[in-house]
Amino acid sequence: MDLSKVKDDRKLEICRWYYKGGWAFLPFLWAVNFVWFYKDAFQRPPFEEQKQIRGYVIFSGIGALIWSIALTTWIIIFQKYRVEWGSVGDELTFLIPSGSL
Amino acid sequence: MAVRVSLPKLCFTSRMSGLLDEAAGLMDGHIDEARVRGDDFDEVRDRNPERRHKERRSRPRPEQAENINDGDVNSAPGRAGDQSAEWLNDQEELRYGAQHVIKLFVPVSLCMLVVVSTISSIGFYSKKDGIYLVYTPFHETSPLASTKVWNALANAGILMVVIIIMTIGLILLYKYRCYMVIHGWLILSSFILLFIFSYLYLEECLRAYNIALDHITAVLLLWNFGVMGMICIHWVGPLRLQQAYLIFVAALMALVFIKYLPEWTTWVVLGVISIWDLVAVLTPNGPLRILVETAQERNENIFPALIYSSTVVYSIVGTANNETTGSSSGVQMDSPGDTESGFVPSWREEASEREAARRRAMDEEEVQIRPRNSSQNDVANELGLGDGEHLGDDQQRRQPAGRSPFRIREDEERGVKLGLGDFIFYSVLVGKASSYGDWNTTFACFVAILIGLCLTLLLLAVLKKALPALPISITFGLIFYFASTLLVAPFSDSLASHQVFI
Repeated sequence: MDLSKVKDDRKLEICRWYYKGGWAFLPFLWAVNFVWFYKDAFQRPPFEEQKQIRGYVIFSGIGALIWSIALTTWIIIFQKYRVEWGSVGDELTFLIPSGSL
Repeated sequence: MAVRVSLPKLCFTSRMSGLLDEAAGLMDGHIDEARVRGDDFDEVRDRNPERRHKERRSRPRPEQAENINDGDVNSAPGRAGDQSAEWLNDQEELRYGAQHVIKLFVPVSLCMLVVVSTISSIGFYSKKDGIYLVYTPFHETSPLASTKVWNALANAGILMVVIIIMTIGLILLYKYRCYMVIHGWLILSSFILLFIFSYLYLEECLRAYNIALDHITAVLLLWNFGVMGMICIHWVGPLRLQQAYLIFVAALMALVFIKYLPEWTTWVVLGVISIWDLVAVLTPNGPLRILVETAQERNENIFPALIYSSTVVYSIVGTANNETTGSSSGVQMDSPGDTESGFVPSWREEASEREAARRRAMDEEEVQIRPRNSSQNDVANELGLGDGEHLGDDQQRRQPAGRSPFRIREDEERGVKLGLGDFIFYSVLVGKASSYGDWNTTFACFVAILIGLCLTLLLLAVLKKALPALPISITFGLIFYFASTLLVAPFSDSLASHQVFI
């Protein structure tokens, strides 16, 4: 869908929906929301709904950032200590890599 | 004068120049003349019914026609002006078609790239482990070629019957307006593709590269990916993301076909399905043709989950005559104003406006040909479905049919639509070719398919109706594949072994 043809109130609706949807463990939705509405929130001459859109965009951006940091940290920790954790580590593993001789 | 004539070309490249052109047209005060010319146009069309179709397309740009007429008024009056307008329109259509070709090359190539790179890096998809689709009960286990051939033919026949039944089912559902059922079906199938098949894909990817991943991350990744895909395909999402998801879904489907269809069956299926495509789109009672015509009648778009649309923004001046042509498996030249995919709520909201404008343009034509009581309302009334919405339509229809030639419809989009099925089978062909590990063959098939697509789009520009996209491409692809594996590869091998260079 092409955002340039959408009316501002509809944009606000979509933006809000994406922001709310993001709470269902969907940081990707927040990231998309941030990128998609960035122009409308910050680079357009002011319009009525801009303030609200800006709020949602900022919160989405922060949420996505926090999620990505948390996920990266978790993945690093997991990769580092997977073997040390023993059976717990194995149970957590989605795919155990095969070793080589 | 020269400037005036060249202006209409520019107006398709940018919105601004379209506006400039418009302003110029107004300033020169040729409005009345243009109206007269426009009427003349109608008469010509009526005298040549078979040319009508062609001119319908050239008609939506009264502004353009007017400009050219202005140029010609002094030199050659009447028909000559129309002809040159038509000629210029054709020129412009072809030029525009070239842009479409590029717009479609990129996604088709990307889809093939995904499939080919997956096939060559992940062994899982080219390895046969004895599991096949339910529709292909014969597994070609015999060493005899004749047995393999009848196995393949039987499998392809069964698969075709399934496809035909499915298509007819879809048409019936669409015809009787069971939109809920169709949507449910599409949502279910995209759900399966986006969650289950991507789960398999992720697993095989990780296995191929031997990467450890924990359950938490895996679940989170799949959940995010799948939900975003569902939102993008069936609701609203950035256009690029939607296109990316459609390409990925098509690629996944192609991979499934490559993996779970027996060897020879794949090739036979490719041949048979392109013939089916030909029949379904071109015969008068072909199901896809019926689908297209019904969609036209209802002024609707075909479901976004079935079609990839390349949207090219450009501006068009004047009321557009929308002759939407297309199919779920075929190329479709999209008419201005309805590229925004089918059932998106925003589209729905604007639809009535557009419809009114369209109807006004269309009514003018239809009045001369037949009483304009399209079968849509009859069918709807018989079924008791044509309540509120249709009343609204009728009211809009009865609005004064005066076509204002200088209405600017900005930001109209126009693009070529290609069914996802075409993406899938193109990719199946190239992916299958690459699964034997010969890069020459792979490239030959890739080039053959793109040439076929070019030819199809060229035909589309000439014939201006919905065309099947598979036959030409797949025929070329099959010829190139067998020619290069059976002739070129042995030949170049023997040349290489004898150290002969040509």
